Amino acid sequence: MISKLSLLTNKYVRGDYAQQFKQSLLEVLAMLACATILIVLVGIFAFIGVQGGRYFMPMSAYQITTVHTLSNAQDVQGKGTSVPDRSVQKEQIQYTLSHLSAAELASSLQQKLLIQYIAQTQEMPKITVSAADSLYQINTTSGQTLVGKFVSLQEGSKVSQSLANLVVLQSEVARLQQNLSDIQIQRLQSLHRAISELDNKQVARDTPLYQTTLAEFMLWQAHANNIIEQIGSYKINIRLDSGELLSLAINKVQDIYQPNQLSSWQSIGYILNKIVVFISDSPKQASTSGGVFPAIFGTLLMVIIMAIIVTPFGAIAAIYLHEYAPDNRLTTTIRICVSNMAAVPSVVYGVFGLGFFVYVLGGSIDSLLYSDKLPSPTFGAPGLLWASLTMGILTLPVVIVATQEGLSRVPSNLRSGAIALGATKYETIVKVVLPMASPGILTGVILAIARAAGEVAPLILVGAVKFAPTLPIDGEFPFVHLERQFMHLGVFIYDGAFHNQTESQVSSLMFASCMLLLLVVLLLNLSAILLRNKLRNKYERL
Amino acid sequence: MFKLFEREALSVEEFSKEQTSVDVRHLCVSLNAKKVLNDISIRIPKNKITALIGQSGCGKTTLLNSFNRMNEFISTHEISGEVWIDNRNIYDKRERVSRLRSQIGMVFQRPNPFPMSIYDNVSFGLRIQGEKRRRFLDDSVEKALRNAALWDEVRDRLFESALTLSGGQQQRLMIARALALEPKVLLLDEPTSALDPLTTLYIEELMVALKQQCTLIIVTHNMQQAARVSDYAAFIHKGELIEYSDSDSLFTMPNKQQTEDYITGRYG
Repeated sequence: MISKLSLLTNKYVRGDYAQQFKQSLLEVLAMLACATILIVLVGIFAFIGVQGGRYFMPMSAYQITTVHTLSNAQDVQGKGTSVPDRSVQKEQIQYTLSHLSAAELASSLQQKLLIQYIAQTQEMPKITVSAADSLYQINTTSGQTLVGKFVSLQEGSKVSQSLANLVVLQSEVARLQQNLSDIQIQRLQSLHRAISELDNKQVARDTPLYQTTLAEFMLWQAHANNIIEQIGSYKINIRLDSGELLSLAINKVQDIYQPNQLSSWQSIGYILNKIVVFISDSPKQASTSGGVFPAIFGTLLMVIIMAIIVTPFGAIAAIYLHEYAPDNRLTTTIRICVSNMAAVPSVVYGVFGLGFFVYVLGGSIDSLLYSDKLPSPTFGAPGLLWASLTMGILTLPVVIVATQEGLSRVPSNLRSGAIALGATKYETIVKVVLPMASPGILTGVILAIARAAGEVAPLILVGAVKFAPTLPIDGEFPFVHLERQFMHLGVFIYDGAFHNQTESQVSSLMFASCMLLLLVVLLLNLSAILLRNKLRNKYERL
Repeated sequence: MFKLFEREALSVEEFSKEQTSVDVRHLCVSLNAKKVLNDISIRIPKNKITALIGQSGCGKTTLLNSFNRMNEFISTHEISGEVWIDNRNIYDKRERVSRLRSQIGMVFQRPNPFPMSIYDNVSFGLRIQGEKRRRFLDDSVEKALRNAALWDEVRDRLFESALTLSGGQQQRLMIARALALEPKVLLLDEPTSALDPLTTLYIEELMVALKQQCTLIIVTHNMQQAARVSDYAAFIHKGELIEYSDSDSLFTMPNKQQTEDYITGRYG
């Protein structure tokens, strides 16, 4: 006890206390800074995750009843008699889908109304929100979401009130559709080809061959039309909130269910289905529903092409700068310039890409190779190739700097070992230095990929669009269409954020895309990091 | 009676042309604008071990590096004089440096195995020479590893990473890597300074055994080692060759005062 005390007093006497306090203060500050960063990072992920994840959760259906009181009642003062209340109440019913609970929805609607009626003398309408368990949600194949009450199923003139028949009708429709496509593929296509061939050979229309072919074509065409009509006769009738009866062809219905009565298994099914649709489908209804597959595809393809371009270029440039370039002022200047290139704003690269790649390079390619198509540009317009090239230039300094670092990490005694064994400089670099520097090169590529996948500004200028009707790779010769415009996740999000900030559904789609972009970048990085670690284990000394 | 114990050591001036492996004539070397070696002339005998001794920074390693032109690895260098190996001046303009280096093996102070398998390390030099015949490579690797007394330890794991070997094994692997090219001269730059005494002994025995095949030139700070292993020894001080004679006389009765001071540990 005494010794402890003496130690303590000793501390004070020698002035260690202030020293220690300073040290611990620094420590605490450093820890605080770290903690803040961590909280911010986790916060970002959590926010994006929650907001984006909501897009996939099933919504509940609510019935909103708005009661407007149109008052024309006047209290006649002084007479003591009250005039019977003649106020007219007008009720308006609205069906809606929401992630919110009934109370939350009601309060948010109330708030909106409050703002609306703040300057008006009229009485504010009363709003009641109730869960509408009997409502059905219908997702159509075109991406629309309808809410309404089920009325009946219609099969030509036959009407049934039970929804249980839907499965039967759907299978019937599917069978008809199969028939239709069979006719279209097996009969109509070949007949159509035969007729156009006859036309090409300039066979007269009144020849028997032409006549019989045409007659056969007409016959099958009529048959097909008949089936189409038949398919159209299978309908589902829904009463919407406006009271209007909506007849919807059954083949337009993707799924129908009662959102408030989903069991937990059905909810999971709904979520999984929504995720699958989100990842594999293309955007519908002006990018408010459907999926983002073309954007994922475009992002990945652009990044891959960029990596293919930038990796060898950056590596070779770094090798020259690090291994071969004479150690003089020019080399130093170039090195500094390369490092500073990374700090150039990306939109500058975008403008450069548009001005040089698209107009100059693409324009001259068009005039040389595609002059027959000319007023409409082939390569002279923004497209995938130019976007990849622009992003390649944008990320080149990253790759160069990382490769240089990787090269300088190769111990010099390995180089001298190889040189002493009779290897030339080239052989030393290729056989010893490069394999050991490969983790460094990969680090650069990782950084480049992460940067390119998240970039928006230059991409808008050089080829990314908010909606591309075709993918850059398809079955059409020559299969890879580098001149096509493409969709990009970052651009998709940017566009979505501008679209419709009020509609929760749209913004949650945007958040979901955000989450996906995060995931794509993380996944790309993760795979590259795993590859790098594998190489590191192989080449790093034990 | 005395004849029996006398070594048949030739005096350093008496080497005939056939007995000489490396003939250095008036070699001056400046590295980074600093004179490191000044007018060195030395004849190194064939199939013997010659030790270069001297304090740190005296130019021993530079001299060693001049034998396979490794000094040119340093960016600014200036070399005058001649080094004759195999009846040709290796500083001749027509000399192909990479071929020269493949004929003169070198082992560094610290083992520097490439991050490849043991087999690939040993066959590296041969592959660089364009050797592709698997059979020949296999035989050469085995021979080199046997010569470096490493075969028995690594025969079962030839295709494991060379980095898994211990320090002493790595250094012997480095010797094997150099021997695979069957060099006429083997340069060893303080090959045992990073190793423990037992491993050092192992490598010293190995050097003595290798005398049959090639000329060995060793740079060392260890006087006992130099005395134990070498047949001839040269003392270099501040870029000058102070004394060069057979090891017995250099270590027992040096001619110059400087040499005596150094080997008895009075300076350096």
